[in-house]
Parts: sequence; structure tokens; C-alpha cells
Amino acid sequence: MKILVLNSGSSSVKFQVIETDLERMNAHEDRTLATGQVEKIGLDDSRLVLKVPGRKPYVDYREILEHRAAIEWALRILADPEHGILSEVDDIGAVGHRVVHGGEAFASSVVITPEVVQEIEECSALAPLHNPPNLRGYYAAHAALPEVPHIAVFDTAFHQTMPPHSFLYGIPFQLYTKHSLRKYGFHGTSHRYVAFRGSQILDWDKDEKKLITVHLGNGCSLAAIDHGKSVDTSMGFTPLEGLLMGTRTGDMDPAIVPWLMAMEELTLHQVNTMMNKHSGLYGVSGVSSDMREIIEARADGHQRADVAFRMFCYRVKKYIGAYAAAMGGVDAVFFTGGIGENSPEVREWALSGLEYMGIELDTKANAKTTGGEGEITKRSSRVKVLVVPTNEEKTIARDVVRVLNGIMPTFEPPETIS
Amino acid sequence: MSWELHNVAIIGGGMMGRSIATKVAQEGLNVCLKEISNETVETSRAELEQSLDHEIARFGLTNSEKKAILSRIRWVTQFDCAADCDLAIETVQEEFGLKRRILRELDRRMIEDHPIVINTSTLSITELAAQNSCPERIVGMHFLYPVTTTRVVEVIRGQLTSDEVYDRAVEFARLLGKVPIKVFEMPGFVTTRVVLPLVNEAIYTVMEGVAEAADVDLAVKLGFNFTMGPLEWADRTGLDRVLNWMKYIHQESGEPRFRPCPMLKRLVRAGLHGAKTGQGFFTYDANRRRTDRLPDDKPRLA
Repeated sequence: MKILVLNSGSSSVKFQVIETDLERMNAHEDRTLATGQVEKIGLDDSRLVLKVPGRKPYVDYREILEHRAAIEWALRILADPEHGILSEVDDIGAVGHRVVHGGEAFASSVVITPEVVQEIEECSALAPLHNPPNLRGYYAAHAALPEVPHIAVFDTAFHQTMPPHSFLYGIPFQLYTKHSLRKYGFHGTSHRYVAFRGSQILDWDKDEKKLITVHLGNGCSLAAIDHGKSVDTSMGFTPLEGLLMGTRTGDMDPAIVPWLMAMEELTLHQVNTMMNKHSGLYGVSGVSSDMREIIEARADGHQRADVAFRMFCYRVKKYIGAYAAAMGGVDAVFFTGGIGENSPEVREWALSGLEYMGIELDTKANAKTTGGEGEITKRSSRVKVLVVPTNEEKTIARDVVRVLNGIMPTFEPPETIS
Repeated sequence: MSWELHNVAIIGGGMMGRSIATKVAQEGLNVCLKEISNETVETSRAELEQSLDHEIARFGLTNSEKKAILSRIRWVTQFDCAADCDLAIETVQEEFGLKRRILRELDRRMIEDHPIVINTSTLSITELAAQNSCPERIVGMHFLYPVTTTRVVEVIRGQLTSDEVYDRAVEFARLLGKVPIKVFEMPGFVTTRVVLPLVNEAIYTVMEGVAEAADVDLAVKLGFNFTMGPLEWADRTGLDRVLNWMKYIHQESGEPRFRPCPMLKRLVRAGLHGAKTGQGFFTYDANRRRTDRLPDDKPRLA
């Protein structure tokens, strides 16, 4: 079946057409037929890029004012006799939608019904920048393809298995019940795929192992996955918590916020932007939010780039230690995301000194593993470390197949609390 | 006919015009900002960039956001740019004749049902509109400075404003993320009318020797959790402007409670116009930072 996977942001729509079904999934033979995106929605020079394996990218510009026009445009090009890959739009059998926040309402991927739409809307308070455009993408795609099933795949769903002692914050309990203020975690689709794929490479049953998945990209997070279930993750109520990121602070003393607001007379907006856009690698180094540029700068002797690099790796290491402790050990660590897949330096620093817990890095294998799958620990290493390029779109397409075949697992919490 | 908001003309690149332009561009709309001459264009552009840099230093903005904002603002010296615009706002001085001339220029060039917005704190929308060929397309909006952060805008319905144009102005306010307060035309609307007697009373309190200016301000600021006292607010707004508003409202309403305090007149006559001149009730440096704050007038945690 040909599945359209959509990731709708506020001013862009990313899409892929993936051919898969139960057989292909089991044989790991899902095929990506095309990837593309429409950028700058709402402007008069919106851009569409379509990439089909083996062909030159197709690029076009026109005025696209809203998501519906963007998705219609994408479908038209996908079914274009010259540039497209479908003989007609109706070749698409189902649509998978990335939805950032499913709150506590969704512990699985689901067929989108009017009730589901309403619940996603209710989660918008938790992700005001992400859920509304996700929904706009759904409305637009549903209008264009009303006959096929639409499935929502949530970034938060995989982490719903976290137990309360892991997801609650140490604030008055009534704030949790009143505002649903708790740790949700993000990148769930990526952590889930990487845990699955890494175990597959090692020929392990992931449901019998203790895994730590490390997603280092634009945003960065780790997950502790114990016997197939996420038991902890470093992002929290929002994607600001946890690791140091390109421009985000990650963990810090929350008392800094009111202190700075008072002493610097910062507004809510200013302090929020400070933590989300002026901090992290960029804020500490003053050089860049891009790890490649940080690594170049520190090679040139830039002190603040060096300390930013060290902070970044140190925090990854700290969380690996914490999650090994939380699970009572670890069998494998899987690195993914732009930095995780492509930066041997970061992996080496983050894993240095962890021999005591059974991680013996193979520095040669590490150095040459960029942009693809590979094992980077020595044969003798008790804990395996792998690089596993993430593929969220493929996971979304597979979830569509799972949901339609009634085999989609749910990620319910082990206990409820009220 | 369907109306969509993409291009906004702003007439006047002064403090208010720049502040509105920044906010409009921030929300992804294109702005053409009309100034008088090439020199004033340069000054206006430099000052707008400076205010963006200031906001970056306060973490409210990033360098790439600054670039995006600047890329959406086009400075011009002719009215012709308004022809392609879906809405125009004039932000020139509160001078009836000048505003009337600008409305005519816009009216001649813009598509008939595209709103023309008068940004005023006091002047009569109805009177300005009545001398125009399409009075129903003229609507008032009272933006408060700085437009990038204040959450409110008063949307003023003149006697002749059409429902359609009024609704478009409200829609525009929402698009800017502001809470529109719907008001009918009356001198001072809500915000100016309410704040001026407060300021005036603060000045009388100083003039009568009840307390020093700094103490009057601090009492009101700390007592009511205001971000600044009424006298500093007046200094930052410009004492000359405050005086003009008061005179206007006083004259229009005939109410003695709007009669400007003699001390305000004296300061303005002496050329002490507040933050922009370095001296009003308080003293300010070239960056308009107050240099004479009382030791108790500083932030603290608890």
C-alpha cells in the first residue's frame, strides 16, 4: 500500500510517500518512493521540493497561502505524469499524520475521528506552536483525500509507559491534576524506531533488553527503554528540559527564571526566548548552534566553543549513567539524529570513561561510522553501542499499517494515579 | 469581494510607525513604510535596526528573526506603494490638517474597500473621515507604545465607519496577537482618557509639595504594581505630547478634570519634554535610561 506521511508545521508541510505493508515491514523492505516539502506557506514565494530516488530534485515556486493549497499542490505534483510517482492521487491508500502532543489521552497511534480531533485540540494548550498546524494539515489532507483512513502518530505516545515516579515533577500535586503538568517527553517516534531497529541489527528481542536511545539533533533527548517500554526520557513538559541543545538550555535550576526576570527586568516573552533561542551551544559558545561549527571552532582554539562542546557531551554522559542506574544496567546504547549519526567526536567524548560500566569504544569503528548504521564498540564490550539513523516517517507509515491491521501496540502507563 | 491581508502601508517612520512596522513584519506581513525624504528614510531605518538590536540584547529576538523582519519592510518616499496594500495606517503627528492630507493621498490610490487606519490618541475619526470621498473605509486604531509588546489596541468606530471595514480592523488587531478593545469615538477613547487624569493628579501632587516627584512615582508604582510611575510614563511619552492631549480633551469635553496642571505647562515651555530631551520630571541618559532612580526603586525577588 502507498502511504502518504505528513508532517505539518506552521509554515511548512513535509511529506513522503512510502510503500509498505505487513510483509514488507517484516522483511524490512519498506520503500520510500518520494520525499518532499512545501516551504514558506502564507507567502507569495512558497517553494515545493520533490525528491524521487534516482531523479533530479524537482523545484517549483508559487503563492501558497494555506495548508490546504500546499497539500493540494503536493498531491498534484505526486500524480504528475512527468515529475510524479503516482498514476493518480487515489493510489494513496492511507495518510499518516505526525502529531506532536497527544497529552495523556493518546498512548498509541489511532485512526483520526471527530472525537480524536477534539482531543488533539484539547492538547493544543500543551503544544500551542505544534498541534494547531498539525491539525490544519489533517483538515487539508482530509479534504483532499476524504475516502482514505487518516492515522495520527504522536511524538509523546511512546513515553506514556513512564511510571508516575518518573513523569511527575516535585511540585504541588494539584498542579498536575489541574494543568496536566508533568513530563511527557518528545521524539517518541524516533526513540521507538531506533530501539526497534538497533535490536533488529543485533538480532535481539528488544522486549528482553535494557536500552538507552540517544537522539542528538536540532533538539536532543535520551530515553531509557526497559524491556521495550520507555521508563524515562530527558525532555519534559516541553522540549526544553534535559540535554544542552543547539539554542536551548536543557536542565537548569528553575530559580534562575524568576531571579533573572526580577534582576534584568525581563518579560515572560524575553526570558522564554532566552532559554529557547539564545542558549545552548549557541549561547555558551557565542559561535554557532551547529555542532559542526562548534567542533571547527574548538579545533581552532576557541575556548567557549570548547566548553560548550564539553558541556554537551558531559550531559549526554550524565544521562547515560542515570538511565543505566534507573534500569539496573544497560545492554546497548543507540545513537541517532544529525549529531548522533554524524559526529564521532561527540560520541567519543560522551562515552569516554564508561569502561567501568562495560562500554569499550572501538575508536576506529566510531571514527568511520557517519551517516549510516554501524556498531562502534569492541567485540569484547559488554554493552553494545550502535549508530542507527532514525526514520520517523517510516515508523509513521508502519503505524498506519499496524493500526489498519489491528496490531498497533499501546503504551499505557503501568499504574494510574489521581 | 474577498479581502486578504498581506501588504500593509505605514505612513510615517517615526517612533510609532517603526514600532507598528516591526510588529506587522514580525507577524509575516509585508510592510511599505513611507517617509518624507531619503535622509529621513535612513534615520528611520537606522533607528528601527537599533531597536531590534536592543531587543536581541534583551533576548526577545534572534538575529535571524531580525533579518526576517527587515526583509519584510520596504522604505519608500512616495505614496504610490499604498496602491498594492490591503490596509494602510497613518502614524504622523497628531495634527488635523496633516492627517487629513495623508488620508486623501491614500484614498486616491487604494482599492475602495481597503481600510485606512488612523492611529490617534485623541483626534476625531469622524471629522477626519467626513472630509474624504470614502469616509466609511476610515477607522481608528490606537496602538500603544511599544507596539511589539503591549497586548492591547483600541479599535475606534467613527460615525461613518462601515461594519465591514471595522471588522477588518479588528481582524488585523487579532492577527497582530492583540486584544482589540472596541470603542466608539470619544476624545481620548479609553486608555488616554483614563491615564491623563492620573498623570495630571500626580503632577498636582508634586506641585502642591505633598511629596517629591520620585516619591510620588515610586508610591504609585509599588502601590499598584505598575511597571512605572505616572510621571516616568509621562516623561517617556513626551511631556509635550501629554500636554497636547490634555489640552485637546479638555477643550473637547469642557470638563475641568482634564485641565492641564500649570506645572506641566511650565516644564513644556522650558523645553523639558521628558526622556527624549534628557530632562522632564526625572533625568535620562542618551539611551533614555533614568539616571536618578531612588535606591528603593530597584527590582528585587521578594
